[in-house]
Amino acid sequence: MTRLLAEYPTADALVGAVRVLRDQGYRLEAYTPYPVPELDRALAAPRSRLSYAAFLLGIFGAAAAYGGQWLISAYLYPIDVGGRPLHFPLAFVPITFEMGILATALGAFAAVLVLARLVVLWDPLFEVDGFASATGTGFWLEVRAGEPDVDADIRADLAATDPVRIAEAGGPP
Amino acid sequence: MTPTAAADPILVGAPTPGELQDQLLATTWGQGGRGWRIAFAIAGALTLLLFGCIAYTVATGIGVWGNNVPVAWAFGIINFVWWIGIGHAGTFISAILYLLEQRWRTSINRFAEAMTLFAVIQAGLFPLLHLGRPWFAYWLFPYPSVMGVWPQVRSALPWDAAAITTYFTVSLLFWFLGLVPDLATLRDHAPTRRRRILYGLLALGWRGSATAWRHYRAAYLILAGIATPLVVSVHSIVSSDFAIGLTPGWHSTIFPPFFVAGAIYSGFAMVLTLVIPTRAAFRLKNVITVRHLELCACLLLVTGLLVAYGYTVEYFIAWYSGDEAERYQFFHGRPFGPGSFVFWAMLACNILTPQLFWSRRLRRNVRVLFVASILINVGMWAERFVIIVQSLQREYLPSGWRGYAPTWVDLSILAGTLGFFSLLFLTFLRLLPFVAVAEMKELRAELAHEDAAHRGPA
Repeated sequence: MTRLLAEYPTADALVGAVRVLRDQGYRLEAYTPYPVPELDRALAAPRSRLSYAAFLLGIFGAAAAYGGQWLISAYLYPIDVGGRPLHFPLAFVPITFEMGILATALGAFAAVLVLARLVVLWDPLFEVDGFASATGTGFWLEVRAGEPDVDADIRADLAATDPVRIAEAGGPP
Repeated sequence: MTPTAAADPILVGAPTPGELQDQLLATTWGQGGRGWRIAFAIAGALTLLLFGCIAYTVATGIGVWGNNVPVAWAFGIINFVWWIGIGHAGTFISAILYLLEQRWRTSINRFAEAMTLFAVIQAGLFPLLHLGRPWFAYWLFPYPSVMGVWPQVRSALPWDAAAITTYFTVSLLFWFLGLVPDLATLRDHAPTRRRRILYGLLALGWRGSATAWRHYRAAYLILAGIATPLVVSVHSIVSSDFAIGLTPGWHSTIFPPFFVAGAIYSGFAMVLTLVIPTRAAFRLKNVITVRHLELCACLLLVTGLLVAYGYTVEYFIAWYSGDEAERYQFFHGRPFGPGSFVFWAMLACNILTPQLFWSRRLRRNVRVLFVASILINVGMWAERFVIIVQSLQREYLPSGWRGYAPTWVDLSILAGTLGFFSLLFLTFLRLLPFVAVAEMKELRAELAHEDAAHRGPA
C-alpha cells in the first residue's frame, strides 16, 4: 500500500481539497500544525469516543477508593475514636473524589496515547521530504491507495486541487 | 467584546504563522543572556542551601526548626499552604479559563501550568520534612504491611496526601499533553541532532493527524473539565486540616471558599511576578500584552475582594459566636498579641494593595503591577502565618500559651524553596517553549479569520 501526500499552504486550501477528494470517494487523512474544526466536518470524522474510557475509569477509581477506605477503616484496621462510626461516608468523600479525578485523568491520558497512535519512535511519514512542515506552517493531506496502477489517477486528482507539492510515503509500520 | 478590548489586542501586529513560530521557538534555541545567567546562579546557590538545610534537618532532627508545643505547625505548614496556593492560578488559567473560552489564556497558560508544577513540588517538600522522619513518608499511602496497620482515612491528613498527589499528577498530565504538539514542532525544527533526538523522544511520535487531533482535543477537554473541580477541592481539603480542628481561629465553615479564593489570589500575583520580567527579557511583549497583565490585575481585584470578605466573615462570626477564646483570638491575640505586626502587614498587603486596580491606568502600569504582585504574595504568606502561628500560640488555656520564633534553618529553607522554584522555572524557560506554539497559531488563524470577516462585505 502506498500513501500519497500533498501539502497545501493554508487550512482553507486543505479543507477545500478534502471536500473535493472525498466526493471522489478516496480514503483521506490530514496532518495539521493545529486542530482545524472544519476539517473534521469535511472528513466526516466520527466523534471521539475517548470520553467513555475516561468516564468508566473514573467511576472505577472512585468506587475502588470508596471500597478501599471501607476495607481499611471498617474491616482490616478498625479503630474506635471517641465512638465515631467506623464506616463514615462523609469522611470518605474527599479521597473518593480525588481518586475518581485521578483515574479519569490517567484514563484520558492513556486513551489519547492509544487512540492517537502515539508512543512510536518512527513513522514512514518522517522520511517524507518537507513533511516537517506538518508541525510548522504546512497543511498535509494523505490519500491511501490500494492498487499501484491507480496511483496515476490519484496523482492527477491530487494535482487538480492545486497543492504546493506531492510526495509519496511507504505503508504504515 | 467591548470597544476598548477590540482596540487592545491579545496579539499585537499580524505575524505570519512562520514568524510567530520562529519567535516562540527562539527562546529554546537562543542564549539566555546575562540576566538569565545571573538569576540561574542565584537560584542554584539557594537550591544548594535548601538541600543543605534539608540534610541538616533530617540528620539532626526536627528540633532544629523553631516549632514547639503548642506551635507545632509553624513554618513547615505555612510554606506548604503558601506554595500549594500559588499553584492554583496555573490550573485556574489552564482549565477554568479554557472552559470559559477566554482566549487571552492562550499566551500564558503553559507558563502558568509550569508555575503550578514547580510550586507543588516545593509544597510537597514541607509535609514530608515536617513528618520528622521523612523516610517513613510511604506510611501515608495504604500498602499491605506485615504490621497490619493502615492509614486513618477518617482524618484530614490522608485526604491531604490524596489531594496533593492527585493535583500534582493531573497538573503534570495536563501540562505534558499540552506540550506534545509543541515538542513535535521542536523535533522537526531543531537545529542539532541531539536536540532532535531529545525532543523526538518526548514528542512520542506526534504527527498531527486529524484523527490524533480529534482525540487530543477530547482528552484536553476532559482534563480541563476535571481539573476545574480538582483545583477547588485541593485547597478546600487543605483548609479542612484546619477547619475540622477546634483551635480558635481555625474552626470555621468559611475556610474552604476562603482558602480557595486566597490561593487563586496569590497564584495570580505569582503569575504577574514571573511574567513581567520574562516577557521583557525574551522580548515577547507582542504575545503577552498589556491586556494580559490588565486582565490578571482584574482577577487580583476580584479575588482580593473575596479574601477581604473572608476576613470580615471570620471577624463577624468570632464576635457573633460569643465564644470567649474566639473573641480573644480575633480581638486581642491577632491585632495586639505577639507577632501582631504580621497581622497588620497581612491586612495592608492583601486588602489595600488590590484596591489600586480600580484604576485602569494603574492596572496597565507594569511597574505598579510588579510591586503589587510581590506585596500580595508577602501578604498571603503573612495570612498563613497569622492563621497558623497566631492561632496556636493563643489557644484555650493561658497556661498553655507560648510564643514562636523561627530559626535560621526555617528561614533558609523558605529562601531555599524560592531558589529551587526559580531554578526549575529558569530551566523550563530555556528548555521548552513557554508560550504554547500550536495554540498561538490556532489563535492567530482565528483572529485573522475574524478580522477578514469584519472587513469583508457584511
